[in-house]
Amino acid sequence: MLAGSVGLAAGAATSLPFLVPRYDQVRRPSRSRVAILRADEYSEELARDLMSGLRLFDLNVRGKTVLLKPNLVDFLPGVPINTHPLLVAAAAECFRRLGAASVVVGEGPGHQRDTELVLSESGFRNLLDERRIPFVDLNRDQLVKTKLRANYTGLGHVWLPRTVLNANFVVSMPKVKTHHWSGVSLGMKNLFGVVPGAKYGWPKNILHWRGIEPSIVDICATVPIHFVIADAISAMEGNGPLAGSSRALGKVILADDPVAADATCARLMGFAPEMIAHIHETAKFLGNAAPELIDQLADPVTLPEMPFRTVPEFDYLRAS
Amino acid sequence: MALFDGFYIFPYNQSMIDRTLRTSLRDTLMERQHPGGGWSYEPASTQAALEPTCLALLALRWDSSPARARGLQFLISVQNPNGSWPSFSGDDQEGSGLTALAVTALINSGEISLHAERGLKWLLDSKGKESHWLWKWKFRTSDTRVRFDPNKFGWPWMPGTCSWVIPTAFSIIALKQAFVCCKTNEVSLRIRRGKEMLLDRACPGGGWNAGNGVVYGVPLASHLDATATALLALHGEEMNDIINSGLDWLERRVVTCSAPWSLAWSLLALDAYDRPVGSLADRLCDLSDPGLIRDSATVAAMILALDCLVQGNAFKVLA
Repeated sequence: MLAGSVGLAAGAATSLPFLVPRYDQVRRPSRSRVAILRADEYSEELARDLMSGLRLFDLNVRGKTVLLKPNLVDFLPGVPINTHPLLVAAAAECFRRLGAASVVVGEGPGHQRDTELVLSESGFRNLLDERRIPFVDLNRDQLVKTKLRANYTGLGHVWLPRTVLNANFVVSMPKVKTHHWSGVSLGMKNLFGVVPGAKYGWPKNILHWRGIEPSIVDICATVPIHFVIADAISAMEGNGPLAGSSRALGKVILADDPVAADATCARLMGFAPEMIAHIHETAKFLGNAAPELIDQLADPVTLPEMPFRTVPEFDYLRAS
Repeated sequence: MALFDGFYIFPYNQSMIDRTLRTSLRDTLMERQHPGGGWSYEPASTQAALEPTCLALLALRWDSSPARARGLQFLISVQNPNGSWPSFSGDDQEGSGLTALAVTALINSGEISLHAERGLKWLLDSKGKESHWLWKWKFRTSDTRVRFDPNKFGWPWMPGTCSWVIPTAFSIIALKQAFVCCKTNEVSLRIRRGKEMLLDRACPGGGWNAGNGVVYGVPLASHLDATATALLALHGEEMNDIINSGLDWLERRVVTCSAPWSLAWSLLALDAYDRPVGSLADRLCDLSDPGLIRDSATVAAMILALDCLVQGNAFKVLA
């Protein structure tokens, strides 16, 4: 089977232990909220179900600029690589109805330089145009030098797109997947897409050399994720993020805390979140991973009969 | 030209190409030039970037307008002290992986100047991190999940990282165009290593992606623009199965492509190898409503692609 070119982390550091805390301050909320919604298929009904789910959070987005950040990597027919466009369109509709001043979709694919090609072949372009939802190519946006609010990579600063920094409400919309370098690709890993290719290249190889997990922590400490809408209707297991196989979970996960979102997704995949280095580290200062600190607003967390398959290096993620 | 019923006809719609070139696309590109002389990707951005600026200068290389002169002046003014170019105005000064594109823009503008020479010197010093003995050893012994030969290295996107297809291909093109004859041993060696790296990183199904053909034993898919750029860099080299397979893959894959950036690069590569491109040119012309193309680098690439049928291919390199 052919897979897209995402596995190009030549020189990647493996998940190194985070021996010394390197964040500027603890910003973890006292409690976090997660809602697991059931959704068996991608359809126009998603907007209704999503709206019901969002109302559980009493979000105040009135007058705000909302950035929806899907996971849009490449397009291979029949492979669930990207966040589904119908879920993204449904989210845009919901935030508009909740009073957002503007809703924009932004992404900077990591390997495929032709963003328009991915948009067009994945079905995003037609849907975004039809619903009049603007899209910003974060790989080619105007950039602002930004000091990192954690220092696990030693980079000190990173150039970030103006659209990301100007948004008052950032929604990470990952596709729930296994990942052959970082174990999982969820709401926090999804923020690699805000790192601009125009500066860092295709792929953003500096992040691999500085360590994928330290890079995830540094970026998420710097770019606040206000909300997560994770696409686990059709998820991916095995050799993700591109060469894996489809795994139907039939769920959409909403959360007001990216760490709680990722920890919950990991549990739904049959993994122990504390074994995932970037979740473990961000739970010290950015959000809550412990179940007792997470309020489940809808369906409870149910462990799968069989954990998601991973590449052999990540067998240790499986919850005992 | 082809003979048909006693009349000579162009194999593509020449008049449409001319009209497109001379009106909408060029006008759009000119309108999007910043007062300082550079171009940004997005028209709304005030931050000139290296790639759209270089592609715009290449697209306007036959132009005698003040816009071109201002663009060249801007490009020269933002060169880093170490000879490289920044990715955008205001960037850090370590050097962009697209520095080679700036050198190519200067060469094609008739500017074999001190600036181009300093850029070339930086290019010769720049190499993928896998070229270091320590990393070669690591990639041979413990980190073997990505299939590649670290002896075959090219150019990185950023200093201190691995070699990748796009910066390597552009660097080879720049070196070949700058040193048409009388290559020093160093230049010949870097071109040879870069060529070997491209051939090593090809995808098993034909063509290239960002830089690796097989990861965890899984063959990866190719990308149109990476394949086209690699083929342009390999033009003039002895034909082999990998180049032929890349060309065949490109011809097959581009049939279903409707994105102007990939179409433009595919046309440039197929033209360099004298493969038929008439239908690609017609499809590009159909897409050439500049109002629908926000990315100025894409507008410039389209001009370069259509222009190559009339005035020559800016990326074509000789053996």
